[in-house]
Amino acid sequence: MAEDAEGDVVVVEADPMNAFHDKVGLGWRADLAAEIFSHLDRIDLLEVIADDFFSAPRRKVRALKTLSSQVPVVLHGVGMGLASCAPVETKLLENMARLVEQVRPQFWSEHLAFVRSGGIEIGHLAAPPRTADTVNGAAQNLSRASRLIGSKPIMENIATLIDPPASTLSESAWISAILASADCDLLLDLHNVYANGLNHGYDPKKFLRQIPSARMGVIHIAGGEFISAPDGRQRLLDDHLHDVPDPVFELLEEAAAISPNPLTVILERDGAYPSMDCLLAQIEQARQALARGRARRIALQEVLV
Amino acid sequence: MSARAFESFLARIYVDAGARARFRENPRAEAERAGLSDAECTALENTDFVGLEMTARSFARKRQMKQQKGFLISATRLLRRFFTDRLALFRRR
Repeated sequence: MAEDAEGDVVVVEADPMNAFHDKVGLGWRADLAAEIFSHLDRIDLLEVIADDFFSAPRRKVRALKTLSSQVPVVLHGVGMGLASCAPVETKLLENMARLVEQVRPQFWSEHLAFVRSGGIEIGHLAAPPRTADTVNGAAQNLSRASRLIGSKPIMENIATLIDPPASTLSESAWISAILASADCDLLLDLHNVYANGLNHGYDPKKFLRQIPSARMGVIHIAGGEFISAPDGRQRLLDDHLHDVPDPVFELLEEAAAISPNPLTVILERDGAYPSMDCLLAQIEQARQALARGRARRIALQEVLV
Repeated sequence: MSARAFESFLARIYVDAGARARFRENPRAEAERAGLSDAECTALENTDFVGLEMTARSFARKRQMKQQKGFLISATRLLRRFFTDRLALFRRR
């Protein structure tokens, strides 16, 4: 509550999320295009998979440029393999540099993963051993990428069904070391944190407190599926084919409570698409989780003051 | 150099079912054959083999999906070119 010019007491309608300039967006998927355009009033930004446009026809890139002139767009890379001891291929960096130049996204992001080695294409994001060697390799690749593309990427933590062999660092220590060495910000995928916590036996909320909150800028939320292991136990696969589970919204509230920065949250869905109403409901749930977290942060700051 | 060799070794066992089976059978011998250090060989002996198999299957599905997507894109491009050429021919007539 506060007093107005006449000295009357007025109720201040706090909107904690807007006070922090947080945004909630959606992963752009061609299958959802028509529905996305019909609901742009409820979607703050779109995340586009950059690799889909590296060898796309010119008209497709033109369409993306048009899209980015109408809606805030960010580019998300999936194929560079920057967290590797091997130098990232120059051709891949040039592809991203060209697309960034054409689309002018708000930022571009990639993964803390390797995707190929010794001439073998793994076909997806693989976790390298968490060691000082991979911290140095990633830092060198990120430095090259930043120089060539002209801006630093925001780097995403990945989900993994196997704790990478020969790791000497915890996941939080490894991520923090790379971010510090490369001076990059973090794209925190909360479903990946949730999945890794379940699969490898750590507390996701504790994990959030172990990574530098000042580096948290972007957040992914998604869903996955429990799959049975040959030993009869279950592990959580981050497949982006299911709705965001409640524990991920709880982690989002935690992240909003500890992050001092504006947060950009992106809902990822890669298939088995539900109705747009269902996706919009999850976007709304994300806004509510952010608001709850921000309210906690404001309350804590007031107590400290 | 060994760190890179280690990544290559992981890539191979993720992708190649035969290499994975040989590794499961005798982890140390396979790691030594790849020229990995003693510490790396020891670490690989303690691999989570259940996690390894699940990871490999998940990656195989992703590669299959990418292949299908690539095929669809190529087929769409070919069809579009075919019909564009036909339309141009028809207009010239």
